Amino acid sequence: MGCDITTKERAGVINPMYDCQPAGAQYAGIGVKDCIPLVHGGQGCTMFVRLLFAQHFKENFDIASTSLHEDSAVFGGHQRIRDGVMTLARRYPALRVIPLITTCSSEVIGDDVEGNINVCNKMLKEAFPDRKVYVVPVHTPSFKSSQVGGYSECLRAIFKTIATRKATATGKLNIFPGWVNPGDLVMLKRYLREMDVDATFFMDTQDFDSPVLPDKSIHTHGRTTVEDIMASTGARASVALARYEGASTAEQLSSDFEVPAHIVATPYGIANTDALLQKISEITGRPIPDSLITERGVAIDALQDLAHMFFADKRVALFGHPDLVIGLAEFCLEIEMKPVLLLLGDDNSKYKRDPRILALTKKADWDMEVICNADLWELEKRVKDPDTKIDLILGHSKGRYVAIDGNIPMVRVGFPSFDRAGLYRHPTMGYQGAMELAENIANTLFAHMEFNRNKEWILNTW
Amino acid sequence: MPMVLLECDKDIPEREKHIYLKVDGEDTRDFLPVSNAQTIPGTLSERGCAFCGAKLVIGAVLKDTIQMIHGPIGCAYDTWHTKRYPTDNGHFNMKYVWSTDMKESQIVFGGEKRLEKSINEAFDEMPEIKRMFVYTTCPTALIGDDIKAVAKKVMAARPDVDIFTVECPGFAGVSQSKGHHVLNIGWINDKVGTLEPEITSEYTMNFIGDFNIQGDTQLLQAYWDRLGIQVIAHFTGNGTYDSLRGMHRAQLNVVNCARSSGYIANELKKQYGIPRLDIDSWGFNYMAEGIRKICAFFGIEDRGEALIADEYAKWKGRLDWYKERLKGTRMAIWTGGPRLWHWTKSVEDDLGVEVVAMSSKFGHQEDFEKVIARGRNGTYYIDDGNELEFFEIIDRVRPDVIFTGPRVGELVKKLHIPYVNGHGYHNGPYMGFEGFVNLARDMYNAVHNPLLKLAATDIRGPANATIREAAE
Repeated sequence: MGCDITTKERAGVINPMYDCQPAGAQYAGIGVKDCIPLVHGGQGCTMFVRLLFAQHFKENFDIASTSLHEDSAVFGGHQRIRDGVMTLARRYPALRVIPLITTCSSEVIGDDVEGNINVCNKMLKEAFPDRKVYVVPVHTPSFKSSQVGGYSECLRAIFKTIATRKATATGKLNIFPGWVNPGDLVMLKRYLREMDVDATFFMDTQDFDSPVLPDKSIHTHGRTTVEDIMASTGARASVALARYEGASTAEQLSSDFEVPAHIVATPYGIANTDALLQKISEITGRPIPDSLITERGVAIDALQDLAHMFFADKRVALFGHPDLVIGLAEFCLEIEMKPVLLLLGDDNSKYKRDPRILALTKKADWDMEVICNADLWELEKRVKDPDTKIDLILGHSKGRYVAIDGNIPMVRVGFPSFDRAGLYRHPTMGYQGAMELAENIANTLFAHMEFNRNKEWILNTW
Repeated sequence: MPMVLLECDKDIPEREKHIYLKVDGEDTRDFLPVSNAQTIPGTLSERGCAFCGAKLVIGAVLKDTIQMIHGPIGCAYDTWHTKRYPTDNGHFNMKYVWSTDMKESQIVFGGEKRLEKSINEAFDEMPEIKRMFVYTTCPTALIGDDIKAVAKKVMAARPDVDIFTVECPGFAGVSQSKGHHVLNIGWINDKVGTLEPEITSEYTMNFIGDFNIQGDTQLLQAYWDRLGIQVIAHFTGNGTYDSLRGMHRAQLNVVNCARSSGYIANELKKQYGIPRLDIDSWGFNYMAEGIRKICAFFGIEDRGEALIADEYAKWKGRLDWYKERLKGTRMAIWTGGPRLWHWTKSVEDDLGVEVVAMSSKFGHQEDFEKVIARGRNGTYYIDDGNELEFFEIIDRVRPDVIFTGPRVGELVKKLHIPYVNGHGYHNGPYMGFEGFVNLARDMYNAVHNPLLKLAATDIRGPANATIREAAE
């Protein structure tokens, strides 16, 4: 009994959990309105990441490439940076922000990104004297960190470049939700509305679920504006919901502009959501309204129907982004499931010291394993091992064959979830998300019982 | 007149050389779009990289081979779960990717040790697998890791394994096309002729340039079985590593995708004197013609005619049902390259569909020569088309359906235009007779989707009639 925190022993990776840094940077970049990220690297670094986003959201996002080739490898890619920036600015008159995202190749070649941006700024000023286009240096070599760190770094860099002055006090909150789905964002916005708290979300990805309209207009882009980012320095406080995806920007706003930063537990499950609402109430002085007490009660009511009858003692394996995995593991405890395997997929050494992980290990009165720098082969090996009984997998679609081949029920959660319909629309955070996720888990387990003829008759009377 | 400078390209006028509008009475040879040239940075091109051309398109199709990617994690992650090429052994090729997960210290001190360790680990973890491709990526090529030396060392220590190395950094060439070339040439030079295949028929061939998309290879294999022709190697649909080592023993190389795999057919001709026969595997006319050519080569015309007659009896009626309903449909094709010329005439002849615009990501001059010869007048032929150009072309030609990838499909959905997956198919296979009926069915279901009318309806206007009509 107890918890082991280990690191994958193999050097190589079989079936990675995360994409590389530039991919995460691209995700942060598309959250800004009138923004097209420009990836300084080979064309595949952009083309496949666009495809990945399209798979998850069933939407198209605009991302450009400098199309780096051999000549750039030898002579440097300066001209391609300048051509890329100017071509984008000329052909997209509404464009206001270009995050210039580096990759492994451009970092190894050693192109002077900041120097080239200075040149670009001059060229832009000359070509468009009445227009400001922000070119943001985003250093995200693929051989460091992962999509998680890349998201965080691009977010931070965009604020560093655009939010350069202390704005007049807005009384608003900056909310950094992390790499979440539109469903979470819409729900979090509703919570703040119900609390009568004025807040700005960074990045506002609500329209990543966008309509087909009679006039054929396309609204698939971030809602966060340059003005939103500028005004963030005048906010009452920042609240970061994900320690590894956005907290660094909140901290930067705190150190540069004295905007107080609150890094809260990621609001998966009831107690974490309670803590978030209480924190917001504490910062703003706004009470938690009856409507949210009711919603909380409806969620607990629903969870009660499921927890000790169906969920109790179920052994769960979780993988995905660190804040998601940790938050869901905490939620598992609330519904009496046992998180037996937590897989965190990059070499960030901070995970092992994360207070939430340490708290989980103290609570574990069962065998629990946390593997850092893990890949999905670690999951597959344990699923195949008869001694490691796993009843449920919570993770993203890249692990689908572990579940299919192992005949283990799996609920898709996290990024990317491309093999189930519409998941991006449904929250997993908050009371509503806890309830919907639990019900999704229950229905998945029920279907599994039926297809495997495993005590499916229990449900005859439920 | 024939080369077109679009409004969106006024700031990059060099794009004019890449867009051709075919008109009546011109010598089209005078107006070939420039192709296989560098993309203008920042244009939102559709192109991928040489690495993906080698690994994702050709190598990772093999059903018994570890694909070790020497580089940072993204190159592996991104070339996983983006293709639909099943195998008859449970899709080993689609379930796994392998990476050396290169980190900064290997960039500084070299990554060969990490590669060696990762190769050994992969073989240890999957002891039933004895074959491997190793790929370089941008950073490992830039720092100059010698992957061939590492592969040799591992093979010396593990006599039961065989490893093929591919030098295909993403920055090489101008598109994925470079990776096709590198892998083709590498394979013929390093591996063909290193294993003798078992010959089971007096008629033998290699089938080259077909990647078993949704079962294409397996569908066509039924034809070859019926004709009594042994396919020594499929390059690379549902293929195995060792079968490809025996390509030198075939009497004939039949080539479907000339762009990705024509190189190896040429080399097999040069080095082993094996003739090359190009066919089109999509479409009734083309498939029948291909079968006739192959059978003529072997002198088994009777068998070919019998097969074609049976297949026509089985499928022609259903094809014609769709033809009746698809006649006059305006189609755009935005795919890699060869499918433009494989499809433009087959959909016209077999289905009465008019292809009104085509864009190729990585086609070369000969692809454009073929497609312009086969294609219609009034049609746009575009090299390396980008997003703003697509919008403008759509306005000009008003297609009813676009055969393209899923991401562009999501984009054109907002413009009320349905897409059919021109890469991985909607519900294939699409090759062969049965396959082309599948293609026709998917096109029909896309074009006749009632949601299209509902999408175009603004219920704030006097449009109730339209809604009723769509629902009926």
